[in-house]
Amino acid sequence: MSAEFNPNIVAFLCNWCSYAGADLAGTSRVNYPSNIQIIRVMCSGRVNPLYVMNALQQGADGVLVSGCHPGDCHYMEGNFFARRRLGMLKDLMEFVGVDPKRFHMSWVSASEGHKWKEVVEKTVEDAKEAGPFEGFRRRQIDW
Amino acid sequence: MTEKPKVGVYVCHCGINISSTVDVEAVAEFAGKLPDVKVAKTYSYMCSDPGQTLIKKDIEEHGLNRVVVASCSPRMHEPTFRKAISEAGVNPYFLEMANIREQCSWVHEEIEEGTAKAKKLVSASLAKVRLLEALETTEVDAEPAALIIGAGIAGIQAALDIADAGFKVYLVEKTPSVGGRMAQLDKTFPTLDCSACILTPKMVDAASHPNIELLTYSEVEEVTGFIGNFDVKVRKKARYVDFDKCTGCGDCAAECRVKDRFPSEFDQGMGKRSAIYLPFPQAVPAKYTIDAENCLYLSKGKCGKSPKCQDVCGAGAINFDQEDEMVEFKVGAIIVATGFDPFDASRKPEYGYDDYPNVITGMEMERLVSASGPTGGKIKVNNGEEEIEPKEVALIKCVGSRDASVGNEYCSRVCCMYVAKQAHLLRDKLPDANIRIYYMDVRAFGKGFEEFYDRVRRENVRYIRGNPSEIFKRGNKLVVKVEDTLNSRPLEDEVDLVVLGVGLEPRADMREIMELLRLSQSPDKFFLEAHPKLRPVDTATDGIFLAGCAQGPKDIPDTVAQAKGAAASAMIPLARGKVTINAQVAIVNEATCRGCGYCVNICPYTAIEMITINRFGNEVEVARVNEALCKGCGSCSAGCFSDSIQPKSFRDSQILPQIAALGVMR
Amino acid sequence: MKMDLEQLRKTAAEVVARDDVKYLVGWKQGTYGYRVAPGFVEDAAGAAELIFSPLCTANLATYLTLVEELPIPRGQEPDDRKVAVMVKGCDSRAVTQLIVEKGIKKDEVVVIGCPCPGVVDPNLLAEKYPETEDQVEMKWNGEGFLLLRGGEETKIARDEVLAEKCRLCRYPNPVYSDIMLGDPVEPWETDEDKGVEEVEGKDVEERAEYWAEQFDKCVRCYSCRNVCPLCYCQDCVLDRLNPTWVNRAVNFSENTAFNIARAFHLGGRCIECGECERVCPANIPLGKINRKLAREVRDKYGFEPGVDPDAEPFQASFKPDDPEEFIL
Repeated sequence: MSAEFNPNIVAFLCNWCSYAGADLAGTSRVNYPSNIQIIRVMCSGRVNPLYVMNALQQGADGVLVSGCHPGDCHYMEGNFFARRRLGMLKDLMEFVGVDPKRFHMSWVSASEGHKWKEVVEKTVEDAKEAGPFEGFRRRQIDW
Repeated sequence: MTEKPKVGVYVCHCGINISSTVDVEAVAEFAGKLPDVKVAKTYSYMCSDPGQTLIKKDIEEHGLNRVVVASCSPRMHEPTFRKAISEAGVNPYFLEMANIREQCSWVHEEIEEGTAKAKKLVSASLAKVRLLEALETTEVDAEPAALIIGAGIAGIQAALDIADAGFKVYLVEKTPSVGGRMAQLDKTFPTLDCSACILTPKMVDAASHPNIELLTYSEVEEVTGFIGNFDVKVRKKARYVDFDKCTGCGDCAAECRVKDRFPSEFDQGMGKRSAIYLPFPQAVPAKYTIDAENCLYLSKGKCGKSPKCQDVCGAGAINFDQEDEMVEFKVGAIIVATGFDPFDASRKPEYGYDDYPNVITGMEMERLVSASGPTGGKIKVNNGEEEIEPKEVALIKCVGSRDASVGNEYCSRVCCMYVAKQAHLLRDKLPDANIRIYYMDVRAFGKGFEEFYDRVRRENVRYIRGNPSEIFKRGNKLVVKVEDTLNSRPLEDEVDLVVLGVGLEPRADMREIMELLRLSQSPDKFFLEAHPKLRPVDTATDGIFLAGCAQGPKDIPDTVAQAKGAAASAMIPLARGKVTINAQVAIVNEATCRGCGYCVNICPYTAIEMITINRFGNEVEVARVNEALCKGCGSCSAGCFSDSIQPKSFRDSQILPQIAALGVMR
Repeated sequence: MKMDLEQLRKTAAEVVARDDVKYLVGWKQGTYGYRVAPGFVEDAAGAAELIFSPLCTANLATYLTLVEELPIPRGQEPDDRKVAVMVKGCDSRAVTQLIVEKGIKKDEVVVIGCPCPGVVDPNLLAEKYPETEDQVEMKWNGEGFLLLRGGEETKIARDEVLAEKCRLCRYPNPVYSDIMLGDPVEPWETDEDKGVEEVEGKDVEERAEYWAEQFDKCVRCYSCRNVCPLCYCQDCVLDRLNPTWVNRAVNFSENTAFNIARAFHLGGRCIECGECERVCPANIPLGKINRKLAREVRDKYGFEPGVDPDAEPFQASFKPDDPEEFIL
């Protein structure tokens, strides 16, 4: 099935909940699509919303940001800031014509290995539907 | 200048954990061709001794200055490899791990996809490792003293342990006496030790210990600083009694013009006290306090010709001009032991606590049954018409606990046993009475609990499973309406006395402490610990610990155990005399900072402040990070428009290349 | 029009005469046609040149932060005197927002508020009444405008040339000022934001196409950024090289990234003065993006920037019950 489109997904996960949840999915041998590549940050509050834009520009077809559930943030409030900033970014991206299927945010705790799998599947499926991101992707220049 | 990166990439087989789904040799070969990579190798177990030695040898042979380990989660072995490379002379923060096990080989099946993804993860790690910076952990001195807020059994125990270890302790208590809730209890389950008998010696010890500075009738007003270096301000409220002169003789209270007019807090309002009072006979310190709200002289400005207490005090201790006094000191650690409030039974109006004098709470029962209580230990209740000795007694458990309708879904953990204990004590005093306990479940989980529960049942105390729906009056009896759920029989049980086994709730004033110390609450509204299993006495703020019921309902042994745990944890910085500051903290580029202060607003640790600097003759405000307070979360950075504040090891300049590396190979 | 020029010039002269005021920024007649220039007034003579008319579209609040802090030679003291600035309703919101985010301090400025019945869109005006080199005067005239040129008076209906931002304006009267000139104007019924709605009405692909066409035109002159009163970082991240958020190449990809990033940085901060759109040489409807985001912030988060000088900045605060229906 070489014709099938395999989206390239970049995910930003907080160290304490979602990254640990993704680790747990591994420990529990939960299978999920390999399209997703994780960048670890200490807190979802660290995720500069412009990373999402930058990832799309640099070749991602979909972006996921995941943090602790509200109230569970290791740093108390970081995920609340992430929620506000990324919620606003999502509205903005949608308005300028970026398919909302390309960007997701989730709360995944350290004990939610299975939820992590579901989130990945949803993100990958949505990115597949949206198709390869051509939009404002940075052109590679081969000299 | 940093030298040019020379990177070693190490791909782990992890037995077959990785190599069964990732072609590790192919990954190493791929990595070997990437820029700045000097060596790329695989090994069966990188974390093993030989694995670590391999890295160390390469560092020496090839002059490597950065290392990428592609293996398991950094949450697992990052400290291991940090240590290894630092032993070989490379800064421990020149390490990046590619998680190709938990997030690759274990979750994907096909070797092609596993290998392809592993390559991308390695190249992303490589992109970052080349740009990492060397970091040093620093240490600052810690003040060898502790502040303990709350002098109940938890606070007293923690204070004694820390003081015995040779450190200074400031023990702050809001009320005029130490002792807390435990002092109000009569006997303790399951051993039936007299509560006062085991507590008062400790109260006296706390007061007389040379290392403990007891600050009763005092409140913490301000705490700033960080672990090892907290600056504390405490308000010593005016007692209007000279602390040093008062002998505790009690002549003043006996002569007070409003003698025995006010409900005694200690007796849960069942006994009365004067406007000048000692909370209870064994109070420590045994110094009288004037209740300014009720004192005629202080509230109305006039008390007969002259205040009687002043007239009779032989020591001349009464001082109406006394004012609140501020005390400031420095500590290295703080223990919060502020305790609990009993559930307010008025919030279950169906039980008629506000309507019938013979519906009482468990805490009131403690005072009623106590030999030092308002009735001298005699069980006398008013049934609305007369004072009687009850013949029919019902005790109801889970009042205000395990009850979503009042917002308390948790179990209060002590009610099962204190209700059993009270049934036992009632049986002692009322040998002929019929005593029954209405319950949902009996949780007798502790040491000696089940045995005690059995003993009480054998003492002709009936346990009836059912949660009463209503209590009302019929004649001079109270009717408990309930369904016996074991044989599905509705009952209307006529009794003379109902004891509500009220649960434990967070203190009504806990928000003040929360805001003062910036602590969080768990869903049950008690203070949130740093980790429910592994850090049950810590808080999210380093150097601040929890003890006793402030963290959640507990019985006395658990409270004492947690207090000792908190004391032991609090003593770590005190004993070391130093605290280590996290190296991965945020840093401000003062040249580009525009001084908007967003980061100051965002930081949950108040680690950032605005300072004025001189920029070419102009005074400008910029942000500055207090490294001792910063936890390196980076929330400030994502909110900074000029990218001026950046968490070390997670800078934009380190993450953007990572994103690029993941993108280019799609 | 309740406020007369005499009062404005008199007040300005009084303000600049104060010892604690360095200069005053107001509007003055431009060199030709419909041009209006910022006037930096230091004395009474300068004050006599000031005007306030429907042509005074520019938001002068930007000059509060645009001024460069030059190195001060050793031995010299910095000039700590205040800067006075004349503001319309929308401009005053920029001042308020600047106070919120410490871009300026209350005691560093003297804000002179000018209640504003609405200004013209210079492009619309020039389209209908072609611009000549003659200097013109323009006045508010009842419900409309009066154009005076070469001794001729032309009545213009308000709707004909009113600037888009004014159709949507809910704050014609300054929300923050030290001195208020004239009487407040009666706020008017605001229009639906048709510009934003039109784009919202498209499906996502059409929107992508629409903006592709727009951003393709961008020449990256940075006028939008430079005129914006709230873009005042000394060192903008969007033209910094390390890290590189946006390459310097002028192409569709980088232009889009630049515009998205700038719009995001204005999220919860933009006070909808429309200056970015006015100055854009490529006529990119930048106002639509900023107004869209401002509306989302208002509707979803109940927050409006630039109305309360003591507010917490939107992007540096949160509410526990912020919307999260988009979160998986």
